[in-house]
Amino acid sequence: MGDQPAFTLNIDQNKYLPLDGREVHAILTIGSTGAATAEAVPAEAAEVIIIDTSGSMSGSKIREARQAAATAVRTLRDGVHFAVVAGTERAKVVYPGGHANLVRASPATRAEAERAIGRLSAHGGTAIGEWLKLAGHLLTAHPSAIRHAILMTDGQNNERPEVFASVLAGWSGKFVCDSLGVGDDWAPAELRKVAEAMLGTFDFVRDQGDLPEFFRRLTQTSMSKTVAELSLRVWVPQTAQLKFVKQVSPTLLDLTGKRTDVNPLTGDYPTGSWGTEEREYHICVEVPPGQIGQEIRAGWVKLVRPDTQDVLATGNVLAQWTDDLAQSTRINRKVAHYTGQAELHELIQDGLSLRAMGDVEAATARLAKARQLAEESGREDTARLLEKVVEVDPATGTARLRRNVDKADEIELDTGSVRTSRLRKEGN
Amino acid sequence: MTGDETTAGQAAVTGDETTAGQGAGREAATEGGSVTGSAGVCPVCEAPVLAGDAYCEACGHALGAPACASCGAAAVDAEGYCERCGARQPTGRDHAEIVLGGGAAALTDRGLRRSRNEDAVALLEAGGTIVTVVCDGVGSSPRADEASAAAIETASAALARGLSHEEAFELAGRAVTKLATSLDDAPACTYIAAVVTRDGGVTLGWAGDTRAYLLPAGTMLTEDDAVETGEITAWLGADAEDAGPHVRTLPPGTPGLLLICSDGLWRYLDGYDYPTAGTPLELAREMLRHALASGGQDNVTIALIPLGEAHG
Repeated sequence: MGDQPAFTLNIDQNKYLPLDGREVHAILTIGSTGAATAEAVPAEAAEVIIIDTSGSMSGSKIREARQAAATAVRTLRDGVHFAVVAGTERAKVVYPGGHANLVRASPATRAEAERAIGRLSAHGGTAIGEWLKLAGHLLTAHPSAIRHAILMTDGQNNERPEVFASVLAGWSGKFVCDSLGVGDDWAPAELRKVAEAMLGTFDFVRDQGDLPEFFRRLTQTSMSKTVAELSLRVWVPQTAQLKFVKQVSPTLLDLTGKRTDVNPLTGDYPTGSWGTEEREYHICVEVPPGQIGQEIRAGWVKLVRPDTQDVLATGNVLAQWTDDLAQSTRINRKVAHYTGQAELHELIQDGLSLRAMGDVEAATARLAKARQLAEESGREDTARLLEKVVEVDPATGTARLRRNVDKADEIELDTGSVRTSRLRKEGN
Repeated sequence: MTGDETTAGQAAVTGDETTAGQGAGREAATEGGSVTGSAGVCPVCEAPVLAGDAYCEACGHALGAPACASCGAAAVDAEGYCERCGARQPTGRDHAEIVLGGGAAALTDRGLRRSRNEDAVALLEAGGTIVTVVCDGVGSSPRADEASAAAIETASAALARGLSHEEAFELAGRAVTKLATSLDDAPACTYIAAVVTRDGGVTLGWAGDTRAYLLPAGTMLTEDDAVETGEITAWLGADAEDAGPHVRTLPPGTPGLLLICSDGLWRYLDGYDYPTAGTPLELAREMLRHALASGGQDNVTIALIPLGEAHG
C-alpha cells in the first residue's frame, strides 16, 4: 500500500457549561485528503455485486439489473477481486462459477462476467440474509483488502426477522455494504438495517432505468477508497458517561451500540472504509457537576487504524463551568444544525410508522412538525416530499394526512430522511 | 500528534494493594520513595502493574506520570489533562510575585472564576534598564498558558539585550507560533512590553488588549486592538496576522508610576481611586484585592514601575 492519506479532525463545540450543566456536545469533522499521486499503489479491493433475481424481478427489471451489474463490472479496476452473486431464497455465485472464490478483474474476466450476467433470469424468493452471508464468506477470504458489497432488491425479505438480525449481527464490521431498493414493493426498514449493520448507505432507485447509473456510481466510490477501516477511539473521564456517538453527515448512522472496549474509560467505534471524503460525528458526554472556572477534558477523541493502532488524528472535547450566561447559553452552530437534522429524521420515521399503524392523529402531528422543521431549516427537498404526505391549510394552519399518497413518494421520504445537509459556511 | 507520554519512565507506581471485594477507590498518593518490589495498579484502567514497569500492559498508559491535583491519580498527560478524571491541571502560577531592588514589582493571580492562570509576567533589570512583559493567554485558543509563558520569556530576554520592540515582538511571535501543530491548534496570547531606561525614558510595545496606564492620574497610555464588542483584533500566535506591535515612547523624566496590566484588572478600573501610599508591591496587592472584590472574573496581572527617579 502506498502512503496513507492525511486525516484531519476538527472539533466544534461550546465548552462553557452553566453551573448545573452536565451535558457536553461536540461535532467532530473528519476529513481525508487521500492525496493520490501517480506513484501511489491503489489499495487492494474486494467487491461483490449482489443482484436480486427473485420472481418479482421478471420482465424489464431483470433486464435493467443485468445492465446495472454489467456496468458495475465494467467500472472495476484491474486487479480488484470480485464476484457476482444472484439472490433468491438462496445465494448463488454467478461469476466466477463453480469455486466460491473471488477472481481478479482483468479485461478477460470482466468480459466473462458480463456474459454470465447476461444469462441471469428471475425466479424464486428473497432472502437478503443469505445473500449477505455468501458475500461475507467471499470477501473475508481477503482480510487485507477493502471489502465492499453492492446489493439491490425490489422486494421484501422473506426471512424470519430473528434470522435476518443474526446474520447482520454476525457480519457487522466484516465488510461494508451499500444497498439499493428498486420500485415501490421493497421495505426501506430492511435496507436501513443493512446500512446500519454494515456501515454502508441505502438508496431508492425510483426509476429502474437509472439502476445502471446507481451501480456505476457506487462501484466508482468503492474503487476510490484508500483505507479499509478506521475507528473513532473515544476516552471519557472515569466519572463521566458517553451518551452517544452518531455519524451525522453525510448520512445519519447511530454508532453508540457498536462500541468495542479498549479499556474501562476508552472505546472504539467503527467508521468503515474511507476515500477522499469528509464526515461528521456528534458525540455527547455527561459529566459530573463542576465548580465555576473548573475545566476538564470531557472527551479525548482519536482516529485510529485498527490494524496497526496508528493514531492518525486527535482532538479534545472540553468542558468549563461558568456563571456567565452569555457564554454558557450559546449553542455551537454545528451542534444546533445536526441536532435539528436528527430530530427531523426521527419525526419523519415516527410519523411514517404511526401512519402505517393507522394512528392518524399522532402521525399527522409528527409529520406536520417535520414539515415545519424542514422549512425552517432550509431543507426544501425534504419539505417538498413531506408536502406530498401531509397538507397544511395555509389559512388555519390545520394539518391533515393526504388520502392518496404515491407509494414511491412515501419511500423517497423514508429513505431520504437519513441524508443530512451540510451546514453552510457563514461569517461567524 | 498523540498525547501519550513517549518517555520511558523508570518510576514504579506504588499505592494501596487492591483488596478483594473492595470497591475501586481513588488511587492514594504515596509519600516518600517508592517501595521496591511492591505491586500497584494502573492509575487509568486499574489493571495490576509490577514495580519497574514503564507502561501499563492493559491500556498502554505511561506509568510514573505526574499526579492529578484534583483526583490524585498519577495520570496527567503531556497536555496537562488527567487521564482519569479529565481535570485540567493548574499552571503552577496561581499566584506569583516579583520585586526588584529598585522597588518595581509585579504579580499575577488566577482570579476567582478561572481554574488556571493563563496570564504570564516577566519583570527584570539589566544594566540599569527595567523590562516588563505581560501576556494574557487567549481563552479560546488551546494551551493558552504555554503561549503567554513562551512570549514573556522570549520578549523579556530580547529587550534586556537591547533589541527593539519590533524585534522582541517578532521573536516572541515566533516562539508562540512554534507551539502550534496546525492553524486549528494554535495557542495565542496578547502582548505588552515596557522598557524603562536608566535616564527614565519609557517605551511601550503592544498588541491586543493588555494595557499601560500612568498613575496616579490613571492616564491610559495604550489603545486596545479590539472591536466594540470586545474581541481582540491582534495577538501573538500562528493564526495572527503578520503585523508589528504598536510602539509608544514617553519622554525621559516623566513622573509617576507605570502600570502594566491584563484585562483581569483593567475591567474594574472605571472610577477606581488608585492607592498612593506604599511600595509598588503593596500597591499591586491592593489593586489585586480590588479586582477580586469586584468579581475576579479573569486572571489578574499587574506590573508597577516607579518613574522619574534615578534607579539601578
